[in-house]
Amino acid sequence: MNISNSGHSVDIVEVTKTFANVTAVHKVSLNIRKGEFMTLLGPSGCGKTTLLNMVAGFETQTSGAIQIDGKDISDVPPYMRETGMVFQSYALFPHMNVFDNIAFGLRMRKLPAREIKAEVERALDMMKLSGMEGRRVRQLSGGQQQRIALARAIVIRPKVLLLDEPLSALDKNLRLQMQVELKELHQKTGLTTIFVTHDQGEALSLSDRVVVMSRGEVQQVSAPIELYTQPANGFVASFIGEINALPKARCQKSGQDFRFEVCPEISLNGRQPARQELKDGQMVHIFIRPEHIEIAGPRHNGANIVKGNVAAHIYQGTHTQTRVNVPGIGLVELRTKGAAAIDQAPLGSEIALSVPLDEAVILPA
Amino acid sequence: MSKRPFLIPFLVPAILVAVIFLAALAEILQYSFREFIPGSLDVGGFTLDNFARIYRPVYFKAVVNTFVLSLATAFFTLILSYPIAFALVRTKVEWVRTLLILLSITPLFTGEIVRTYAWMLVLGTNGFLNTMLLDIGIISEPVTFMYTRAGVVIALVQFAMPVMIIILATAISHINTDYEKAAANLGARPWTVITRVVIPLTMPGIISGFIVIFAWTMSAFATPQLIGGGKVLMISNAIYLQGFSALNFPFAATLSVIALISAFASLALMKLIANRLERQTAIH
Amino acid sequence: MWRQTLFWVIVSCILFYMTIPAIVVVMTSFNPGEILSFPPNGFSLRWYEKALTYPDFRIAFRTGLIVALISSTLALVIGTSFAFLVVRYVFPGKNLLEGILSSPLIIPHFTTGFGFLLLGAHLNLNQTLTIIIMTHVVLVLPFVARAVYVSLLNIDPNFERSAANLGASPFMVLSRITVPLIIPGMAGGWLVAAILSLTEFSASLYVTASRTQTLPVAMYNYIREYTDPTVAAVSALLIIATMLILMLANHFLGLRKILAIDSH
Repeated sequence: MNISNSGHSVDIVEVTKTFANVTAVHKVSLNIRKGEFMTLLGPSGCGKTTLLNMVAGFETQTSGAIQIDGKDISDVPPYMRETGMVFQSYALFPHMNVFDNIAFGLRMRKLPAREIKAEVERALDMMKLSGMEGRRVRQLSGGQQQRIALARAIVIRPKVLLLDEPLSALDKNLRLQMQVELKELHQKTGLTTIFVTHDQGEALSLSDRVVVMSRGEVQQVSAPIELYTQPANGFVASFIGEINALPKARCQKSGQDFRFEVCPEISLNGRQPARQELKDGQMVHIFIRPEHIEIAGPRHNGANIVKGNVAAHIYQGTHTQTRVNVPGIGLVELRTKGAAAIDQAPLGSEIALSVPLDEAVILPA
Repeated sequence: MSKRPFLIPFLVPAILVAVIFLAALAEILQYSFREFIPGSLDVGGFTLDNFARIYRPVYFKAVVNTFVLSLATAFFTLILSYPIAFALVRTKVEWVRTLLILLSITPLFTGEIVRTYAWMLVLGTNGFLNTMLLDIGIISEPVTFMYTRAGVVIALVQFAMPVMIIILATAISHINTDYEKAAANLGARPWTVITRVVIPLTMPGIISGFIVIFAWTMSAFATPQLIGGGKVLMISNAIYLQGFSALNFPFAATLSVIALISAFASLALMKLIANRLERQTAIH
Repeated sequence: MWRQTLFWVIVSCILFYMTIPAIVVVMTSFNPGEILSFPPNGFSLRWYEKALTYPDFRIAFRTGLIVALISSTLALVIGTSFAFLVVRYVFPGKNLLEGILSSPLIIPHFTTGFGFLLLGAHLNLNQTLTIIIMTHVVLVLPFVARAVYVSLLNIDPNFERSAANLGASPFMVLSRITVPLIIPGMAGGWLVAAILSLTEFSASLYVTASRTQTLPVAMYNYIREYTDPTVAAVSALLIIATMLILMLANHFLGLRKILAIDSH
């Protein structure tokens, strides 16, 4: 399908949406580039779906503007916005067959019947659904319904593709497969895409950029890798992946060396974090991912070693998640390959952990 | 672009109907304050005499009668409808279910006259019931069912059952059967499961069914008219008598106002009692 | 096991009570003599012949049919659009309007009928088809509105949003998506309304005259004057017709759905 030249940019400018007394979206500004796959990620109730509905025109923003290619579309009704939306429930019309569902948008645009037929067939072909034209929607599997919903949305050549948690109704294996297909589809069509999800795995694997939202506000906008390695704040750090949040620590600076006093008994040494300028005496939050903590062997000596008792092992096949109770810090989680840790550190035994700060996230408190 | 494009075209017809209906009710109210001119359909000026007349024992009795008959009908309807509704929802045999639905719903759609006439054939002095009972030898003389309250209630209950069954069946179908299984699993016998689990869980349906039937019976007309035969007088019959025999439209209107007020008042009263009951049996 | 048996015996007894009037009517309708007797002493179709040729019944049936078709269709249009407003829109006075239009369920039919009798006199539409139809529209409207209301609640609002997203104007969404999806509810509501109108008695007694009486009113007048089983024949025909219609409705629309009894 030759929609590759159809990149359009979407700008969300200081958009706020208030329902009764509840602010669902607060002063959100985003620039979605031509052909970009942008994901809105956040827990339920963070405002991501409301934002998507405002782009589609189902909700009107209380203030701010939404632009496509720099043109304000706030007053354009939903049926003239040229957005293609895939709903969480797919919303395939139950009283129409597959062909009529996909043809619906083209019929609304009053295309000649022959053209409609050709377009629908091409869309079906693209989604590997040829021969399904006459099927009733109810006879289809979840994955097929998903593809038809996608075909129906892209066949109208929308300026922007809106995906509202389209994978959440599928079971796990199908979800992974559909992720791959979505990625391929995006590469093939080059459609500017806004994807809403609460699943960070989907967000990290599909997106060019991810917008993390919480309580109606944008927390961070960045590429997936940066999101994981350089979270902008505590919310993003704990929301993306698993992370240990250490108690507030005081930063002691001497030249290039930093020392963080977590509690009177525990101090950790490290370097100036890449993006933050820390001052002597400042309070900081230290976050460290479980895979970066190791069980300290004989090689390790004094620096950044903490001791605690093993509270639990959670065996997960490829790795084992171990929970250690460290006096002064609390529960610390670490992840080790295979099952070795279960024998190496029996429940209740005291072990030493190495907590390197090279890969830790250090944010001003 | 309006957010509600169909508001005006869809609203106008509904408002028109509401206005016409309110106008009809307003006419009744207006007539109830007018003077009756015997021998004429025209009415005189403003008066309160019609309302003074309703204190006569015959009309007071009609109001009480209406209330008592409605209460009795609602009660018996509830008792007889529950087993049917339960069977309807819980049977696993498709044809039994279809049969139950058809048999229990049909009376709803045959109309007041057909049903009342049918009961006249059953309850009459030489009717089906008396003939059967005489033949079997249970009685030696025909029992009088016609022109009695009992006869009226027997007929009214049968009419009311379809509506009650629909309401109860809806309530029963909304119970998760796991509750019953859990109760049985904890050692409750079938009868205890019914009384301690099923009935409390369907209480909202029971209450609303009772209220609906009560209101429905208050407006019964053909049955007390034909089976009651003038001996069992409900408000509806008194109004008809005034309107069509005495041609006293103002007083008939006054009685209609009384009927309306007592209908709404009894409904309000029952709602009040129901709210109390519901609070006691509420699922916490 | 004995509990099960006892339960079904009770259920059967109650069903017998519910159906006995219909059975007796049918038996009576075949009775050869004018005096009713049980068991019938023969078999005759003379009352059917009389019922079908009796002019009052023929005219009344036609009038009733016209009234039922017009009023239930009007109620369908008005009730459907009103139910749509109630489900989809918020507007001032919504609750009040809902209350007024559903109050005929509580207000006695004879009161409504009497009101329309007086209104008809006032408007010089005394006992005309117009006033009869107005009365019936008011009486059956709540049933249609209710049926459509339930159907509307049961459709995913995303169907409508999705259609709009694909370029359908509000009118297109209504005609291509909403209406086709609530057709079963509309059909069920219309059917219920038509049957209720056809069999309505109390209000009709007030608003009709002998020229414009509907079938139930004609039957009532007949019962008061004669005691022969002609009305039994009419009743038997009506009961059988109702059962047939309900069986068809059950087959095509599902009575459980129309009546909103759904089990899990």
